[in-house]
Amino acid sequence: MSWLCLIVKNLKVAVVGMGKMGMLHASILNTIPGVELVALCDKNFLIRRFLRKVFKEIAIVNSVKKLSKIDLDAVYVTTPVSSHYSVAKAIYSENIASNLFVEKTLASNFGEAKELCELARDSGGVNMVGYMRRFAVTFQKAKNLLDKKAVGEPVLFKAYAFSSDFYGVEGNLDGQPSNVGVVRDLGCHAIDLALWFFGDLEIEEAKIKSIVSNGVEDSAYAEVMATNGLRGEFDISWCIDKHRIPEVGVTIECSEGTINVNDDKLELNLKSGRYYRWFRHDLRDTVAFWLGGPEFFREDDYFVKSVIGNHVAEPSFYTSAKVDRIIDEIRAKAD
Amino acid sequence: MGAEEKLFLVGDNPFHGISHLSQERSRVRGDAPTNPEYAAKLILISLENGANGFMFSVSETTLSILNVIDRNGMVESLSLYAIVPYAYEYVRLAGKVGGVPGLAKRIVKEVAFSGNLNAIAGGLKGVIEADLGSLVKTYLAYEISRIRSSAGKRARLESIMLHQLITDMCLGFDMDWFFDLYVNHILKIGFKPGFNTGNFAFLVKKFREWNINLEETVIAAPFNKIGFQMNPSREECEKALADMPKPNVLAISILAAGYLKPKEAIDYIANLPNIKGVAVGVSKESHAYETFKLIREKLNSS
Repeated sequence: MSWLCLIVKNLKVAVVGMGKMGMLHASILNTIPGVELVALCDKNFLIRRFLRKVFKEIAIVNSVKKLSKIDLDAVYVTTPVSSHYSVAKAIYSENIASNLFVEKTLASNFGEAKELCELARDSGGVNMVGYMRRFAVTFQKAKNLLDKKAVGEPVLFKAYAFSSDFYGVEGNLDGQPSNVGVVRDLGCHAIDLALWFFGDLEIEEAKIKSIVSNGVEDSAYAEVMATNGLRGEFDISWCIDKHRIPEVGVTIECSEGTINVNDDKLELNLKSGRYYRWFRHDLRDTVAFWLGGPEFFREDDYFVKSVIGNHVAEPSFYTSAKVDRIIDEIRAKAD
Repeated sequence: MGAEEKLFLVGDNPFHGISHLSQERSRVRGDAPTNPEYAAKLILISLENGANGFMFSVSETTLSILNVIDRNGMVESLSLYAIVPYAYEYVRLAGKVGGVPGLAKRIVKEVAFSGNLNAIAGGLKGVIEADLGSLVKTYLAYEISRIRSSAGKRARLESIMLHQLITDMCLGFDMDWFFDLYVNHILKIGFKPGFNTGNFAFLVKKFREWNINLEETVIAAPFNKIGFQMNPSREECEKALADMPKPNVLAISILAAGYLKPKEAIDYIANLPNIKGVAVGVSKESHAYETFKLIREKLNSS
């Protein structure tokens, strides 16, 4: 499909997987001018039954293959991570759509991610992975400062991803931690930000702990080195007290000072003694439609514009596959 | 602000350990505001100093706070504005219990064990016929019964407000029938239908398109001097506010999560039209003494 066609007609989009992320993206997409939500797919019978009652003008299907009968320009894959590979592969191989957005992480391992990169390249469409923190104003400001070398050259970084989701529940687990583990579920955001800020990384040392449930990764620590000699650390856990909402942050020691950035604020401590601080409040954090946080609207709007303009969207599959590779490396080094 | 009696509501964010300025700030505050006894004390101090109500998400924490206030014999002094469902807790829970299907099973179990026979019957009908309307009514009956049993018979529950996440998701999906159903049902059971939104201008535009009577509702939305969380912009929100048919907007985030000083924040609100009242969280006794005194002084004279 040429971009000229997309300008004059609505971008027809389907969402596969109507859990919380599917609902969120579908609702946001429905508000973006020029987007038409035409199909929703979920394998759960009860969810489909409710969807049919609620969305009478949208096709509701139970399998990805049934989307091949629908004229689609783009598909969002918001299923559990374990099925990203098979769903995305089916979308490409059945020629359902060439433009694909997959929620993070791209796949369950680097091997699957590489295959999806090849399929995406062959399709010629736009592809992107939902690392939404790249669309948070604080991290965007930090990236801008790093690119401009406002604090000199980075020397050392410490990235963390913490939540209290399973804090203090040992032996009294009310539910089941995600079996993909904390590194893939939450830590992937810290890894993606580090790749975005510093370029490619290699794991040197890694440790993984099971705290809540045997066999499930509940915390991880890794030391890394970037291609330019920059050293760094990842500290990841969903068993940390007082992190009601997951929080991701990076402290970056640079030749001329320190950058401290997280979801809420950015601090700059220069060796000259000057200090700057920006909260979200200071960084024009409003959007046309707010749902779940402004990052999600920016992310979806950017993907839609990339598809319409037929230009590369970042983080692409190729970029995001590096996160899957690093997660595999953390596991291998921790064994 | 208009001449109608104004609402000065204590907000519950600090009692849930929430700070929209930064998570670090809520960690620095410590656990004290999340203790129901201490939180109830903060509300009662606020009440003595000008507050006249409490806006809260229905959770175990806020229900315990209401229970303490009821035992102190003060619950009837408060106008209660309840927000349902406590969506962020449910989102967290969904992550733990196997996504949306696991969460649905959990809620069904809670309703079933509540012993509320009407709610159980309505819920069964909703599941069997995939009738979202029945399920919504069931869920609301369940939440109202939880509030009643914690806050006691003397409690003045005035409004049932739909949580921001649900309001905005339904807005995004253009679910006009759902808003219509919600407004009619809440009015029918004797409360003021309310909506908490992060998309005030968009909601007002949609309600007008759908012929939902704005005069029958109360809308809680961010209004502050720096435009924090005012989507798509402060100007658009102010314009939509000026076009409201009557003062039925509750300004929230007026301090922009602590970014603004109370005086400058309240001065801005005092100059806005169609504001029915404000909701402000307090996390310390000194805040409770000062904040509502200032709010009442500035907003009552505006």
